[in-house]
Amino acid sequence: MKLFRRARRRAPDYGPDSTDAVLLAAVATGRTRALEILHHRHAPWLRTRLRYRCSDTDQVDAALQETFLAVWRNAGSFTPRPGDTDAGAWLWTIAIRQLISQLRKRTNQWIAGGDTDYEVIGDASAEDTVLLNIEHGPLGAALHSLSPELRSAIQATVLDGLTVREAAQILQIPEGTVKTRVMRAKARLREALT
Amino acid sequence: MNTTTTTAPVHVRGLVRRYGTRAALDGVDLDLWPGVTGLLGRNGAGKTTLLRCLATDLEPTDGAIRVLGHDPERTSERTRIRGRLGYLPQNPEFYPHFTAFGLLDYMAVLKELGGRRTRHDEARRGLERVGLTDRRHSRVHRLSGGMRQRLALAAAMLGDPDVLLLDEPTIGLDPEQRIRFRGLVSELAVHSTVVLSTHQIEDVAALCRRVVCLDAGRVIFHGTPEELVDRARGHVWEYDRHPGRGHTAWRLADGRYRVLVPTVTREKAPSSTEPARKPVEPTLEDAYLLLTGTR
Amino acid sequence: MSWHLTPAQAHEYADHRSDDVTAMSVEAHITGCAPCRALLPTDEEWLARSWADLRDVVDRPRRGAVETLLSSLGVRESTAKLLAATPGLYRAWLLATVAVLTAALLAAHHLPRGSLMFAFSAPIVPLAGVAMAYGRGVDPAHALTSVTPLAGQRLLFLRTCAVLIPALVLCTSAALLLPSTHTPWSAALWLLPALTLVTVSLMLSRWMHLGMASAAVGLLWLVALTALGVFENTTPLQLIAPQTQMWWAAALAAFLTTLLWRVRTA
Repeated sequence: MKLFRRARRRAPDYGPDSTDAVLLAAVATGRTRALEILHHRHAPWLRTRLRYRCSDTDQVDAALQETFLAVWRNAGSFTPRPGDTDAGAWLWTIAIRQLISQLRKRTNQWIAGGDTDYEVIGDASAEDTVLLNIEHGPLGAALHSLSPELRSAIQATVLDGLTVREAAQILQIPEGTVKTRVMRAKARLREALT
Repeated sequence: MNTTTTTAPVHVRGLVRRYGTRAALDGVDLDLWPGVTGLLGRNGAGKTTLLRCLATDLEPTDGAIRVLGHDPERTSERTRIRGRLGYLPQNPEFYPHFTAFGLLDYMAVLKELGGRRTRHDEARRGLERVGLTDRRHSRVHRLSGGMRQRLALAAAMLGDPDVLLLDEPTIGLDPEQRIRFRGLVSELAVHSTVVLSTHQIEDVAALCRRVVCLDAGRVIFHGTPEELVDRARGHVWEYDRHPGRGHTAWRLADGRYRVLVPTVTREKAPSSTEPARKPVEPTLEDAYLLLTGTR
Repeated sequence: MSWHLTPAQAHEYADHRSDDVTAMSVEAHITGCAPCRALLPTDEEWLARSWADLRDVVDRPRRGAVETLLSSLGVRESTAKLLAATPGLYRAWLLATVAVLTAALLAAHHLPRGSLMFAFSAPIVPLAGVAMAYGRGVDPAHALTSVTPLAGQRLLFLRTCAVLIPALVLCTSAALLLPSTHTPWSAALWLLPALTLVTVSLMLSRWMHLGMASAAVGLLWLVALTALGVFENTTPLQLIAPQTQMWWAAALAAFLTTLLWRVRTA
């Protein structure tokens, strides 16, 4: 038993050029230096992106802090897809959720709290692959033609991968409205693409 | 504020400290300014006693001490001195169950460096300084002697004290660590008054702008290392063979003898009875040996 | 991946100048593209600060059980650290205390006049603890810590508290188990003498080593007890009898006032 534990505690060799997967494995064995490299690598872009979702820098920074704390505690739960060692998507999922809970803390007087149930609208991954090329495809034009409200609904649910409830919280609109907006936006996009 | 500009950060007048009837310090006058001052002397010359008096650890039997303008004999002023003082005692000991980080954190509490965050940042900086970051969570009793010495040094340097008193700080350090130690101390010595008691003449030669030599509780030399070396000029010779009894001499690698001659002797033609010899440039070590040896 | 960000696009996005659709496209892309993420400008100063904040949470010295307990009781974090950091002898004292009190209890229950042992030892226990908690010789780190601003009287008092609280708890529970105890009041008769002895030794520590002071005071106590035991018409129990408590209280008040006044003016 002791041997087994020992083996688990051994960190992989890592350095500033290691992949995210290796660094996360090292973080899982308690290496702060590995966390520092990950932080240095990912905190800047996560921060930039979070600031598109929330203009309050303090809240964004607090959410980022919580994000990396969550990484510190749960690094072992990261399972890279075969052939892809990048943790960008995983980190973003944590970051955006931390931002939402941060916002909820601030405004819990009027937004109902409670745990999120992971109810996702539509097939996000299929749509993600389309979105990767929006600039160059007909989808770009179609997105341009959407009203800002519909676009932000699509952004929250498809791009950020949020549940309806989470999207409602970050957009500060009722869940029903999110649902209808997403449906309308998808209908428009489908129309434009066919 | 005026006092700090006119009085030296470390100011000692007529300092006497007796243990029973034996005087460990017997009338010491010193003014020490920012920069590193080397404190040399044989074992029992009074170096540690002087440092302990300056560190407010020991009360003088007679005489006056002012550290940063404060009188350590008054309790309130003593506390003020202690807030700006770093002291590395000889053979420092710790609580063995503490971790390196925990120990510095504890010292930071005692030094009243501030809230938890400030203390932790200061402790981390200390560990970084002495290269113990990787061992920060190791318990003290698992650290090697050299590591403990470095930890004690980090503890003494916590909070960048204005006066830093180091009693044999380089014991147990390997050559690389000693170089690193010199870098650390000289950096701090830009603004702080550092007193370095040591037997390592190389450290003094590398670091110190001033040298104080103690012998039997008295100051027998206070000046620059160059002045000390100057005093030895004309006293250091190399002989072909051993000069005979009564000389301080040692054999060199090439078979010749380095000889310290207490009285200045002129260069003269070698006679048949005397070994061939030539004068050589003295080192700081020669000078120190001559100084303490002639007494 | 069919396209990558241009540096200009990256800067526009970072400066919040991208329009919504471009921003969405950039975001979809950078989620999986490390080289393009690296194009985004970095606020190094912020990054360093952010890491320092994070590191302070994930990397801090472990706290011992005592320290955690004290903190949860509402003791200030730094005070808890000071109280928990006691020299190894302190633990030995704690064990010795338990042993002595157990012996005293056994004696009281099984030997004639056995409760005398408790009367002898209870006031000595805190005294011995204080002597072993602070000072050169008993505290290995004393040389390192004695010249810090908190050292001296303040640390000594903190350590005294660290000793008195467990000592009082242990002695009181032992006293409650004594056969002669009929009321809680009689279980506390040793308390005032104990506190007085500690106070006197703290006062004396100004002029002599704390260990010496404690030994002297403890010896005085034992001598007094023995003297009272030797004479025909007196008994050692008189020293802690209810009638003498007034005197103990007065002495304690007087010594404590002197001590506190000393510390204040010092």
